[in-house]
Amino acid sequence: MLIKNGRIHDGKGKIFKSDLRINEGIITEIAECLTPADGEECVDAAGLEILPGFIQTLSFWGINGSSTEIRPSSDDNDELSDPITPHLDVRYAFNGRAATIQQLGAFGLTTVGVTPTDNNLFGGTMAVFEVDGVNPYKMCLKPYAGMKASVCKKLKDSYGKRGVAPQTKMWIFSQLSEQLRLAAEYKTADQPSDGKEESKKEEGPGKPRDMKLEALRRVLSGELPLFVSIDNEQDALHVLEIVKPYRSEPYALKLIFCNGFGIGADASWLIEENIPLVIRSASMTMDDIAMELDLRGVASLAEKGLTVALSGVDSSFQIREDVLWLGISMMKQLKDESRVLPMMTSIPAKLLGVDDKTGSIEAGKRADIVLWSANPLETYEAQIITTYMGGKAIYRKGDELRCM
Amino acid sequence: MHVIKNGTIYPMTGDAPFVGDILVGDNGKIEAVGTDIPAPGAEVTDASGYAVIPGFVDAHSHIGGVFMESEDLNELTKPLTPEADSWYAIDPKSGQFDTAISCGITTSCLIPGSGNVVGGWGIVMKSGKGSVADRVIKHPACLKAATGINPKGVYSKKTQMPMTRMGIAFLLRDYLRQVKEYMEKKAAFEKDPSDPKKKPEFDLGLEHGIPVLEKKIPLKVHTYMHDMTTVVDIAREFDIMVTIDHAQGASDFYDDLTDEHVKGVVFGPISAGLFPGEGGKIDYECCKGLDDRGVLVTVMTDGPVTPENLLIYQAGEAVRKGMDPIRALGMITCNAAKLLDVSDRVGSIEAGKDADIQIYTALPTQYVAAELKMVMIDGKIAFNQDNRISCK
Repeated sequence: MLIKNGRIHDGKGKIFKSDLRINEGIITEIAECLTPADGEECVDAAGLEILPGFIQTLSFWGINGSSTEIRPSSDDNDELSDPITPHLDVRYAFNGRAATIQQLGAFGLTTVGVTPTDNNLFGGTMAVFEVDGVNPYKMCLKPYAGMKASVCKKLKDSYGKRGVAPQTKMWIFSQLSEQLRLAAEYKTADQPSDGKEESKKEEGPGKPRDMKLEALRRVLSGELPLFVSIDNEQDALHVLEIVKPYRSEPYALKLIFCNGFGIGADASWLIEENIPLVIRSASMTMDDIAMELDLRGVASLAEKGLTVALSGVDSSFQIREDVLWLGISMMKQLKDESRVLPMMTSIPAKLLGVDDKTGSIEAGKRADIVLWSANPLETYEAQIITTYMGGKAIYRKGDELRCM
Repeated sequence: MHVIKNGTIYPMTGDAPFVGDILVGDNGKIEAVGTDIPAPGAEVTDASGYAVIPGFVDAHSHIGGVFMESEDLNELTKPLTPEADSWYAIDPKSGQFDTAISCGITTSCLIPGSGNVVGGWGIVMKSGKGSVADRVIKHPACLKAATGINPKGVYSKKTQMPMTRMGIAFLLRDYLRQVKEYMEKKAAFEKDPSDPKKKPEFDLGLEHGIPVLEKKIPLKVHTYMHDMTTVVDIAREFDIMVTIDHAQGASDFYDDLTDEHVKGVVFGPISAGLFPGEGGKIDYECCKGLDDRGVLVTVMTDGPVTPENLLIYQAGEAVRKGMDPIRALGMITCNAAKLLDVSDRVGSIEAGKDADIQIYTALPTQYVAAELKMVMIDGKIAFNQDNRISCK
């Protein structure tokens, strides 16, 4: 398929007029004046703006539970029987149809990171999905995209009120520290503490396998980036202090902060420490912590080099407009699309480890692209003409929006 | 005296936008709107290149009365509390009013929550400084009612009526019937006071319903989906005015919503994915659909349930669904003021109205990066983003 004459916003800060060839769902060519091959479908995008599909880094799309089941029960990404569940995998919570019915393509989204909630210290592993389909495994772009952790007050609300730990932040941080130490010292018959085959003999058979610690070892090695939700800057400082020993050899822990409430212009240490920030919105909440989101402060940090991704609320009330609305809020601060659009596309892709596949309009990437009538980071008059996910049109202007 | 000079003024009176001046008097009222208004000695705000619009009017909010840990706008001890009055719930010093101002909201209709079938009186008041009495512009403004899962959710847990929509419709209808009979008894006694036994006993809850039955204030009903047909049916039966608040699914019921008993529709807040039942249709295209059909339509924040900046985003999403950006601006200024019966004071920029004015870098219902620079309430500057707007 050929898309001709559109204005491409590549998601990495460049804007240019060009044609675009898509073959088997992949962008194969970006050049001016491409000519259609025999029988090749040709879309005239003259006057249209072509943006990468938005990527919501942290979402609950596809999760069934409290508000969506015939018999209401827990949300499937919210295992509140134990605050430490790093061994759980969010893929098993993901219902393809539950995501598809939301028609996220009509809101410019083509890819979503799906995550356990902020209610556990370690919630489990995250995964990245397409927004339209049925079979979770066919929709999954990347399993094990990260380990979701949280030191938020939500943990206290979820457990402390039941009379079980954690009731305090003391417990939360001491357990964060302790679990990582246990993972570092973990050894079993199969897995010596340093991972080297020759140590196996020396150390002899260890304790029975501990699936939690095995999952956390993958965090220490950097295989699973650690996405830690924080309520404020103090939380972030505590987390950094605790994980610091694991950020250098022989470990390679990758730290990403999530939510970003209470992070203001003076938190420039985040830039020095090279820790990205995933902003959650306060769109549907009566949460006094979320109301502390300081976009002006975050914008000023971004101007100085902080890596920022824009995401959505941590609540089963997911908002389809969240990424776009946060982009609009950020435009009011930065007034520079070349900085804001990457926060909604290529940066989330990088943080989720799918930047080899999506998040920007470049040859070799998936055709996760949206044709807009105007630039949505400029005017509300911008309407989606077509949303392509892996080259397949999943929404076209005029399609009726689904109801339930 | 204060003059806002050379801004692009969107008067929201039906007149087209134009570049001109606004003269604000020391009494906090707009004295004149026009071009090249002479104003010797007046403070000058240079608004050249900027959009000058009326302060936003939020037609459905709970700020000042609902906080994270405590709330004073849901008296959930019985499903009918018409005797309640929002006036007494509002903390006028709440920081939520400062947030509202920073989002350009200068007037809000503050109402009881939706846990009860009848929740009590609402009030229209200004953001800004001073007591509730200083800032009120209409009281009572409405009688709040609610249908659907909110009252059901509260009373199902207590195994009390209403556990169903049948129960809700019965309680609402029965309350209005009692008000009507109370009024008839009062009128009969007034006509013939000879028998003191016939004087009806004073009932505050029923008293609060009288202005509804007299069509002096509307019944303001929390309503989603098919519940709007119930509300319109009851409005016709008792010949009262209603506003349909939240109104998700309104595009399925245009025939009902164009009924003469519907004073207007307060749509939103649109911020959730689809979910079964009341969240089953999210149709902000209804803003244009209702506007095209002559129905007074506005959007709301439901603050603090959603943050105050959502007012502008929702108007923006209506634009994405085909509404003209100036009509969308009208939704959150003149339409809301008319719907709340306060358009003699706020919602437009014209001589004699309150000087509730805001200045943006561009038309905020069209350009997403439009930034709020200044908010004026009753002629006083309540928010000033930077030094570009200087008050010499």
